[in-house]
Amino acid sequence: MSDDRNPINPEESRRGLTRDELLRRAAAGGALLLSGGGMASVADAATRAAAPKRGGTFRIGVSGGSVKDIIDGQNIVTRPDQARIVTAWEQLVEFDSNFRLQFTGLAEEITPKSASVWTIRVRDGIEFSNGKTLSADDVMYSIRRLIDPKLGLFGGAALSSVDPKGMKKLDKRTVRLKLKRPDATILDALGQYIANIVPVGYSPKAVGKAKPNVGTGPYVLKSFAPGQQSVHVRNPNYWRSGQPYFDQVVIIDFTDDTARVNALLGGQIDAMTDVPPAQVAVVNGHSGTKVLESPSAAWTPICMRVDAAPFNDVRVRQAMRLIADRPQMIAQALAGHGQVGNDLYAIFDPAFNHSLPQRHQDIARAKSLLKAAGHEKLTIDLQSTNGALGMNEGAQVFAQQAKAAGVTVNVKILDSGAFYSNNYLKWTFSTDFWGTRNYLSQVAAGSLPSSPYNETHWPDAARKQFLSLYKQALATVNTEKRAAITQQMQSLEYKYGGYIIWGFSTLLDGYSTKVQGLKKGDKGVLPLNAFGHGYRSIWFG
Amino acid sequence: MLHGISGFIIRRLLLGLLTLLLVSLVVFAATQALPGDPARAILGRSATPDSLRALREQLNLNQSAIVQYGDWLKGLVTGDLGTSLAAHEPVSQVIGKRIENSAVLMLFAALISIPLAVAIGAVTARRRDSTFDHGMSVGLLGLAALPEFVVAILLVVLLGTTVFQVLPAVSLIPPQDHAWEHPKELVLPVLTLVIAVTPYISRIMRASMVEVLESDYVEMARLKGMPEQKVLWRHAVPNGIAPTIQVVALNLAYLAGGIVVVEFVFGYPGIGAAFVDAVANRDIPVVQALAIVIAAVYVFLNVAADVVTILVSPRLRTSLR
Repeated sequence: MSDDRNPINPEESRRGLTRDELLRRAAAGGALLLSGGGMASVADAATRAAAPKRGGTFRIGVSGGSVKDIIDGQNIVTRPDQARIVTAWEQLVEFDSNFRLQFTGLAEEITPKSASVWTIRVRDGIEFSNGKTLSADDVMYSIRRLIDPKLGLFGGAALSSVDPKGMKKLDKRTVRLKLKRPDATILDALGQYIANIVPVGYSPKAVGKAKPNVGTGPYVLKSFAPGQQSVHVRNPNYWRSGQPYFDQVVIIDFTDDTARVNALLGGQIDAMTDVPPAQVAVVNGHSGTKVLESPSAAWTPICMRVDAAPFNDVRVRQAMRLIADRPQMIAQALAGHGQVGNDLYAIFDPAFNHSLPQRHQDIARAKSLLKAAGHEKLTIDLQSTNGALGMNEGAQVFAQQAKAAGVTVNVKILDSGAFYSNNYLKWTFSTDFWGTRNYLSQVAAGSLPSSPYNETHWPDAARKQFLSLYKQALATVNTEKRAAITQQMQSLEYKYGGYIIWGFSTLLDGYSTKVQGLKKGDKGVLPLNAFGHGYRSIWFG
Repeated sequence: MLHGISGFIIRRLLLGLLTLLLVSLVVFAATQALPGDPARAILGRSATPDSLRALREQLNLNQSAIVQYGDWLKGLVTGDLGTSLAAHEPVSQVIGKRIENSAVLMLFAALISIPLAVAIGAVTARRRDSTFDHGMSVGLLGLAALPEFVVAILLVVLLGTTVFQVLPAVSLIPPQDHAWEHPKELVLPVLTLVIAVTPYISRIMRASMVEVLESDYVEMARLKGMPEQKVLWRHAVPNGIAPTIQVVALNLAYLAGGIVVVEFVFGYPGIGAAFVDAVANRDIPVVQALAIVIAAVYVFLNVAADVVTILVSPRLRTSLR
């Protein structure tokens, strides 16, 4: 089962977040970290050298953050919350450096009897930071809390197939889940970085007050001031032997990009998230600091509504997709820090359909398609907002490119309040952003009539078979068979879909070279190798 | 009718309160002008029907604007600034520490820049048209022309990151500490503000001193054989300072609002950062409270400047009697 796929990465994070805050690149994925993969799976030569050393205070500056910051073992609101949640809590299954699920987490196995009955067994002898032993009760409590509609935690959406009444404790380490419907993506949902295991009775109300913040993770919270900083000390009871290496971790909110870069250059912090593309050369050029690049599957699509004119004519959608000069969009909108897209999301999915040819700019064909559809000299508004790096930039580059095909695209950059108003998800032509997820999870989040964020209103009337294929895929536990089905689905979206997916951004984070253990090229959901896997796989050299 | 200095002060204070009342109207109206439904603007993409309803209730959006304004004003007068929408804590708790930190920054900047500017102004006026005067004049004009964020970044590059690494580039003040416990962290932001403010004050001081130094009583003092230093500091400066006080007040008031940029560059945990944060979060109660606080500082400084000007100018002082 360990080859199972489809990690879900609910960007639902974004539901809770204002765009500016979380994620410039919407890395709301479910993972602990990710390495290797497409670009450079080899560990950075500089960082593989010596054996880990103990000690020191690790200080990290995180972008965004405000008085909205929270600490909850199963919830985040801002980007610094992501940096904090990994200190104290862990999942049952974890994503590895290649964005594949592995049983390296709290569960030693999770096995399906069918796509709707799953058995979870946790490892023996893991203790929470307060000494309590991890048991089946904690797992049941944690899952119930995640899907509690009263709490409205965003990790719950991906677990909507779980029936709270269908959960049964088989012995002190084993739980059986009976789902409301077949759901082969349940492991992805359990691998989300917010799908953490908390002890029975956990409530964030206890945070920072009388009761300590209890989790199985490598650090224990010492102090927390929302919008400013938090201090975490080593959990002496941690179950992975030898780890973590730091005595203390300080997580500092930095709203301003320049201040964050200056603090890194000046040696006031040891690492930072989100180096602005324009500052990459500055950080790399300064002695003692470097930029860590991690490919991500986060994307900022241009969305066309398949049920509204002019895009209800599939030829117009196809023409727009042929207008995009993707390498140029990466170069200009992302300053070159990204990977070209092929109008398909979930590029890290093991079942990603690589057999579909890469789409290139073809103005002549775009023009003839538009002519055939009766939309020569098309003029249209493209709504955008500063939600994530690449939204406005991509829209503007696209508008330039469209001129060659005789199409006038008027980019309307709106205030986020106006963009996410009643018109949101109703715009005919707009941009948006999504984080790293596997295919079926992304379909659930954005490509079904029931999805909470279906900008394109996909599938159109002629492509209803997409829905039956999706149901079929969810009920298929066998990895190969499911891959065959999802590739058919991808092929439909590739030919007829409403997204222009021109690229995937690269995570750019900075670190001081005295920090050891970071790996280049890890497939990134969370920055800096998922914050050094909760600050436990990195150390000071 | 009230007479004399005390009457004057009371009248000015009442006028100040009236100004504040007008400001409160503008601030309130501005927050009403948010496009569409303020509750939806605040919640953005995360809006659900339930959360919208709850927020509308919390913001009293179901009532008429006049009732809303009345409620808000009542809270303001009784010291109840409401609850922050982002932090879910009383506004006073969210901004209290921030106000203290900014006040410390402003105080240090004022304590350094005012005496410095007065001294520069007096000395350059005394040595008018000397090389020193011209040099200072060019240098100060140059500094005045630089926006403070440029000054801040130059200082960071020079002293914090690239050239020398002698001072912290960013003012990381732990939340539980007072700003003055971290003098090193204060140096660069204070220096930036001093550089931003000093040129203006010293130019005005110089201009008014030039006038004073040419007046008859200075001539008289010199003819009596009084030492030049005494003429300058005892006789000329006290008279030259009156017009400068207004400029000092304007500059201090500017500091109250204008440190936003400087605090942002240095990551300094003051009202500037809190203000930016609150606007980004559409945290209306905090925005309103900070706008009123800053307006109050403006009004207070202007009243204080008027009063001090009168106290140091014998002619004005006696005309009030």
